[in-house]
Amino acid sequence: MTVNEKQIDTSCRVPLLVLFGGAALWLVVGSLLALAASLTFHMPDKFGDCSWITYGHLQPAADDALLYGFCIPAGLGVALWIFARLGQTPLRGALVPVVAAHLWNLGVLVGLVGIFAGDSTGFAWLEFPRGGSALLFFSYLLIALWALMNFSGRREGGTFPSHWFLVAALFLFPWVYSTANILLVGWPVRGVVQAVVAWWAGNNLVFLWTSLAGLGASFYFLPKMSGRPLHSYFYALFAFWTLLIFGSMRGVPVGAPVPAWLPALSAMNSLFLIVPVIAITVIGWKTVRDATGPECKGGSYCMIEFGFVAFLLSALLLVTSACPHFGRLTQFTWFAAAQTQLQLYGFFAITMFGAIYYILPRAVGIEFAFPKLIRVQHWFAILGVAIFVVALVVGGVEQGLKLQDPRVAFADSTKTMLPFLRASTTGLLCIVIANLMFALNIFLMIAAWKWSVAKTVFAFVISPLSKSEVKA
Amino acid sequence: MSDEIKTNPTPAGAEPTAERSHLPMWILVVLLALLYVGGLYFNQHSGWFDKQVYSPYGNAAELELYQPKSGAAAALAAGRKSYESVCGTCHGNDGLGKPGQAPMLAGSEWVIAKGHNRLAHIPLAGLSGPIQVGGKDWNLAMAAMGVALSDTDLANVLTYIRSSWGNKAGEVTADDIKAIRASLGARPQVMTHDTLMALPE
Amino acid sequence: MKNGFAIFLTAFLVLVTSWTAFVLGPQLQLGRARQVAVLNSSDVYPTSRPGEAAQGLVVYRANGCAACHTEQVQQDGVVCNVVLSSAGKNPSAVSNLLATLKLSGITEEEALAAGDKISAAGGKVETHIIPTGPDIARGWGLRHSVAEDFLYDNPVQLGSIRIGPDLADVGRRLPDANWQLLHLYAPKSVAKDSLMPPFRYLFETKKIGATPSPDALNLPREFAPADGYEVVPKPEAKHLAAYLLSLHADVPLYDAPFTPAAPAKP
Repeated sequence: MTVNEKQIDTSCRVPLLVLFGGAALWLVVGSLLALAASLTFHMPDKFGDCSWITYGHLQPAADDALLYGFCIPAGLGVALWIFARLGQTPLRGALVPVVAAHLWNLGVLVGLVGIFAGDSTGFAWLEFPRGGSALLFFSYLLIALWALMNFSGRREGGTFPSHWFLVAALFLFPWVYSTANILLVGWPVRGVVQAVVAWWAGNNLVFLWTSLAGLGASFYFLPKMSGRPLHSYFYALFAFWTLLIFGSMRGVPVGAPVPAWLPALSAMNSLFLIVPVIAITVIGWKTVRDATGPECKGGSYCMIEFGFVAFLLSALLLVTSACPHFGRLTQFTWFAAAQTQLQLYGFFAITMFGAIYYILPRAVGIEFAFPKLIRVQHWFAILGVAIFVVALVVGGVEQGLKLQDPRVAFADSTKTMLPFLRASTTGLLCIVIANLMFALNIFLMIAAWKWSVAKTVFAFVISPLSKSEVKA
Repeated sequence: MSDEIKTNPTPAGAEPTAERSHLPMWILVVLLALLYVGGLYFNQHSGWFDKQVYSPYGNAAELELYQPKSGAAAALAAGRKSYESVCGTCHGNDGLGKPGQAPMLAGSEWVIAKGHNRLAHIPLAGLSGPIQVGGKDWNLAMAAMGVALSDTDLANVLTYIRSSWGNKAGEVTADDIKAIRASLGARPQVMTHDTLMALPE
Repeated sequence: MKNGFAIFLTAFLVLVTSWTAFVLGPQLQLGRARQVAVLNSSDVYPTSRPGEAAQGLVVYRANGCAACHTEQVQQDGVVCNVVLSSAGKNPSAVSNLLATLKLSGITEEEALAAGDKISAAGGKVETHIIPTGPDIARGWGLRHSVAEDFLYDNPVQLGSIRIGPDLADVGRRLPDANWQLLHLYAPKSVAKDSLMPPFRYLFETKKIGATPSPDALNLPREFAPADGYEVVPKPEAKHLAAYLLSLHADVPLYDAPFTPAAPAKP
């Protein structure tokens, strides 16, 4: 039985709408929270009267909304679609991922409210209290299970590099998230072991998971959109193994209050990350080098390409933390925040934008309401992330230099940061605008789809009965 | 189709494919070079999984080197450590002894005597037979528990018991212990009350 | 890799390795840690935090203080200073010798060599172990933080960015509860260029009753409430201040040795 593309795309329609719709909502919420957190530095006095808007609530909530609200559901949705397409198998039983996606959104909501109410667990990237994290875990399991069932039942045998990256990502999250929550919140381990587990989980979720899921998508879309084959199967296999091995064995900061072997192991593996970075650079460059396909005009292809380059830069910034001197210089500064934003937004979010803008019109069968806005959104996103990252990389190094010099009073190091923080707030503002445009297009598409469904149902209801339907 | 060997560019609409050109050697060389550099770094900075070695110390030997060693307080601390692991089981960490096992050391006239000669012979040669300690009669046998300790360690232990639990007597040096060990020879006779009293103070 | 199982197996093996290195390994090494002996003392370390301070840790976590503050002192290196403790029988020879030797900021081997030379001349020396690094120089701690410092903390709040100063040893540096409360209510009143947002919601501004409350904050004019009102800390604020006062990292341990400064003579 031949299956055509349209069938495959349509089978994913509702799960993707829920996943991407929720992701768009949390993306906007997260960036607004990040903007508010950033404003704390420019007008601290205004944030002093209500516990809900203190920086210690806004910043973690913003980070978690970006990672759990946007990144993971977007990645899951793209994975579902890519599996269906690559395996030439439509997604069956779409109700389950739909319900799971709604549960996921509920989990994120519960988690964020928990943070603001003061129930944060206290660990970076794992702040959601038990109820939220349990909902996230179980709904992820359902969606991942559905994706894996689709993968294992695929018509088109063999595997494409994207399969490896996405399957690894599907497997990674439940393991890491459950381990971290059990060992930090459920039955907490003693003392500084908590910090090590938190660092391990943070690295595996923020860096490794997004790298795997984002590269899985990039390795699908780059050859597809450029019309060239991926260069090459074995390069990608090498990149997969080295990224997985070295990327998972790092995360402990240099000079941490733990026995020296942990930061040493971590620094060593951060250094080794150069190898997958080189391999991935070659893959990307040689794949699109001779492409005669679409030029970069602010559409999906441009976004995938930009995200790809952003990944390389973000991974290189991570490699610099392997150098003990530079690592010590930047470890408690805004440098790390810049690298995280480059990874999560510059690489992963922008890659997801490209993927979602490609996938959704095909899955839903409706075009975006404001196609020109896509290009504007892309430029705002690039501008925002560039300003933010450059400002905080430079500012972070400056701050680090001042922190390392004991003759400089601490207050001076914070004063040095203020102009850079102002720039970063501007970058966040551009990101907010970009996200609002993205959300607008997505919500309008959801609305248009709901309207078309309503029209179909209404038309059916008021259609005249045929003779055979009327009992004699 | 079970694998993706394709060398033509993918037509629009078809799924992407991956070409099968081989991995070049140079990237493996880079990986090996980095593994070597990383190994060197780990060797120097990790303390080889010792849980007490924190940066900036590179290994356990360096950490041991930088322990505050000189000074009376350090000697006392070392003496206490050795005492508690070797002597404390019988004599008690509080120096009060245990009936049927070992007499008290706190306030014992043998410990706080002005000269340390008789005291030092006990752990180096052992003691048996009836002896009075602090007005109580004891008749047990003590092995030469101090033979396994180094001169410095035993000196520290004796200094520790002579200045703890209210005892206020002078220190014992490693040289003292060395001299006594030499005079006792390889297999000393176990001391008794009488042979102890025959020794000079 | 042809099939899903191969991918799953690879990913599984790699993750097991990572889990072993960063979860199982540290748990086996540090998970059953107990109190350790303090160097040159009969004390053990750490002692668990008193009740108010333990409640303060809850407030610290709930308000996300770790988003701006770290609790880990870094140490970049260690040096020795050789100090004469007794001039011995021949003080002039010893002082001549001292003039020729480098006695501060040296390595342990150099210190041993210098000590031997001075002992040979009849003097007695002590070697002081001095941690070095910008955190130490700034007075943020006396030695680097170690696992024992966090033994009884749940959750451990190490922090990851220094938008505010490090707090590992703040109980030694700023031991005044009143200062802490003032700083929480109006950071700019005690630290002019502070970026810290005020935590006014941890306090209550109420009308002064028959007598002013003994807990009322003594605020400078521009931060003080209107006439007839006083600012009183809520229990959360007091607990948080108690927690901050309980933060110490000033005890020498085997894995963080240093020679403490001699206590001031009465």
